Amino acid sequence: MDYFKKIIKESVVIVIISSIMGLISGTFLSINQQILYSFPIILLILPSLNSLIGDISTVLTSRLSSHLYLGNLPPKIQKSNVLRNDFYGLLITILLSLIALIIIGYAVGIATGIQIINPLLIITVIMLTLLILFVMIFILLFTSSIFLFRRGKDPNNFLIPLTTSLLDFLTPLILIFFIYLFT
Amino acid sequence: MDWQDTKWKIVKEVFPSEIISIIGDILAGIILTILIVPFESFLILILLVPALLSIRGNISGPYIARTSRDIIIGEFNKKSLLENILATYTLSILIAFLIGLFGILLNYFLVRVFIITNGILILIPIISILLTLSISIPFSTVLNIIVFRRGLDPNNVVNPIMTAIDDFFTVLCFYLTIIMLGVP
Repeated sequence: MDYFKKIIKESVVIVIISSIMGLISGTFLSINQQILYSFPIILLILPSLNSLIGDISTVLTSRLSSHLYLGNLPPKIQKSNVLRNDFYGLLITILLSLIALIIIGYAVGIATGIQIINPLLIITVIMLTLLILFVMIFILLFTSSIFLFRRGKDPNNFLIPLTTSLLDFLTPLILIFFIYLFT
Repeated sequence: MDWQDTKWKIVKEVFPSEIISIIGDILAGIILTILIVPFESFLILILLVPALLSIRGNISGPYIARTSRDIIIGEFNKKSLLENILATYTLSILIAFLIGLFGILLNYFLVRVFIITNGILILIPIISILLTLSISIPFSTVLNIIVFRRGLDPNNVVNPIMTAIDDFFTVLCFYLTIIMLGVP
């Protein structure tokens, strides 16, 4: 049962912290529900936006962990081709997915009769939010993966729950900040 | 297989999965609105939904990533799989209990709608999460194996697809649970 114990030991604290962060995120959203109701398309897109940046960070953590275990990535904070490929590959993916998300979101919005207000502003705000989060999360995940791996821990057990919850909290926070800034 | 993927290989493998994930999440959002909003206890139920959806990232995501890594590094076997599943269920029951507990506290201090008993508020996340994982775990494990056997990197493909499946089934299982428990 060594693997079982390792998973529980490495995950339990971080999973509890992440769940509490998720609940704080819900509370933050309900406090700012007025601004979300002013731009109803955001309410429709927000779960997908959370899930998009969450997926990319999960893919990155998972890839970094595999690279480290296979020895493709040295456990040092330094530039490498593997890291460069991961950065540009995921950046291109996130930009393409964002375009798809905006098209699908607006199409569903029109089909379901949701009021579309100032689309250019919303698209700009969504793009800025995602790009800021991506760069921030990439740096955080790379450095934390190296740190955890060097201490003999599995980055998957710590970083996936932590970043998913952090992003569930930060995405609406930055999005609402930009809306306040531009309106 | 060369695990030092080029950036275009990453795009090619992750992007289609992301499209599925986006569509799944928008569908989950629409279904959530249609199925949950009509309930009399909607104000309490909606407190639990974001926390339940976060289980995907907290519990299911690491399970999938561990399975992918075990397959890639050649350490995937019956014992590792069973221990991985057992740990995932143990963590999920603990988290579900905490979500229920926080639901009671948030209801008591913020919402103040007392039409569901505290016992039901604890049971909703527990049953809902167990139902979701019982679909998600076998599905993601088989998907991991298939994807790897087809020469693709499971890290790139499985998680985004499972996000859509997990979010959709979380909402559906949540709905089935509140129906089963007779929540008004």
